[in-house]
Amino acid sequence: MIVAEKKPVEEIIEFIKEDKKILILGCNECVTVCEAGGKKEVGILASTLRMYFLNQGKEVKIDEITLERQCDHEYLEEIRDVADTYDAIVSLACGVGVQFMAEKYHSVPIYPGVNTCFLGATEERGLWTERCQACGNCMLGITGGICPVSRCAKRLLNGPCGGSSKGKCEISKDIDCAWQLIIDRLKALGRLEDYEKVCSIKDWSTDRAGGPRKVVREDVQI
Amino acid sequence: MDLKRQLEAKEFAILAEIEPPKGTDITAMVNNAAKVKEEVTAFVVPEMSNAVMRMSALGAAMVLEANRMETVMQINCRDRNRIALQADLLAAAACGIKNVMAVTGEDPSFGDHHQAASVYDITIDQLLQTIQGLKNGKDMAGIELAGSPDFTAGSMVNSGLKGVELDREMDAMKQKIDSGVRFFITPPLFDVSVIEPFMSKINTSDDIHIIPTVVLLKSLGMARYMSRNMKHVHISDDLIKQIQKAPDKVRECIRIAKNTVSEIKKNGFSGAMISTIGWEDRLYDIIHGI
Repeated sequence: MIVAEKKPVEEIIEFIKEDKKILILGCNECVTVCEAGGKKEVGILASTLRMYFLNQGKEVKIDEITLERQCDHEYLEEIRDVADTYDAIVSLACGVGVQFMAEKYHSVPIYPGVNTCFLGATEERGLWTERCQACGNCMLGITGGICPVSRCAKRLLNGPCGGSSKGKCEISKDIDCAWQLIIDRLKALGRLEDYEKVCSIKDWSTDRAGGPRKVVREDVQI
Repeated sequence: MDLKRQLEAKEFAILAEIEPPKGTDITAMVNNAAKVKEEVTAFVVPEMSNAVMRMSALGAAMVLEANRMETVMQINCRDRNRIALQADLLAAAACGIKNVMAVTGEDPSFGDHHQAASVYDITIDQLLQTIQGLKNGKDMAGIELAGSPDFTAGSMVNSGLKGVELDREMDAMKQKIDSGVRFFITPPLFDVSVIEPFMSKINTSDDIHIIPTVVLLKSLGMARYMSRNMKHVHISDDLIKQIQKAPDKVRECIRIAKNTVSEIKKNGFSGAMISTIGWEDRLYDIIHGI
């Protein structure tokens, strides 16, 4: 899932401090799971902003809506009738949702309420860690299901650097050395011969080297 | 040859673009430059323009400097992060390179290494501010340098824009001036009158120098292609007809380039930057006698 974290409220206030009618728009997908932009966080942010404006002696109407998704035309249409009635919309979706909103609703400014961080997993409640950089050319099949692109600080593709120590990355003792994990996993699978396979220089054109990417599937297009 | 002094003294400066070789053989590059070194103020060394891998601008500029030819080293944002950019700027200064020109750098998809990852850690404006910072004795982390460079910094400006776009370009230009840019190179110019709207917007109190590019057209086809496809470059139908009618088209193109440089000089510009796009051996024919 896409992992995000809440923006500092001061930053959000800076966007909307002159507005009179504001919509806080949550998303029921990834940002709900990582507790950054779901219905609960919409309520918390809305209350915080109401208190801020009250303290400022300003009368500001703040509404709350949480959509099923903000990266889908169908769900964004649900606010078609009300979107233009607001002075500003604070979207708590990931960067995709914020942009999709901005592309759809031209006359109202859309501000981000979260910082989109990475593609990751919930390790435990309150701990999300990165697992994927969406490089567009998955090599997990030969690395025992552990990604060196997202989990090795140097994105090394052919074994560890000389800096790892006791299975930890040189940049922090709190980070596992991805290549230690890969070797351990391949050993457990009885597939250490995969470690001997030399990975050729990576084609980064499927990453960001070729500019913004798109996936076209003519077989599913209507 | 000293670009900084020549610009300050308001003497017409001739810059010539010299592409570094794709390989280690520097013979052609050095020979072509040496042929015109007396006429050229400084050689502009592009850094892998169009994302085509070549010898680095730093390396090629060092070779030319070692042969007593002044250079303007281009440095792009595409290939290095802020650490490497600063490191190469310090190396350039220590190796005698006095002029640098910041460029953004084209995306790798334009060049010959499509699979390469681009960097773009900092923008061109930030790179210019970094150059200014290094000149003031501090790196981007605010740490004091043991010796600082004294670069004359340059950049590109799109003088071919019109209306609101031109106004925006003038704002961007002002920012670059504030970041210490002293000379600006324009897109190719074939008719001096075309640049007048841009020149009229320049604040005369700014201590800057405008250096139009003069491109050597190589053929009638190239002239037509540029005319049709380069939005901000104006090539008149008369010029195209002139090349069309000429019995020796290459000679005519050289004559056109020479005349354009002369016109630029007559109109009081600080200099001209001659780009032959691989025909550096024709530089002498263009420059000699101007």
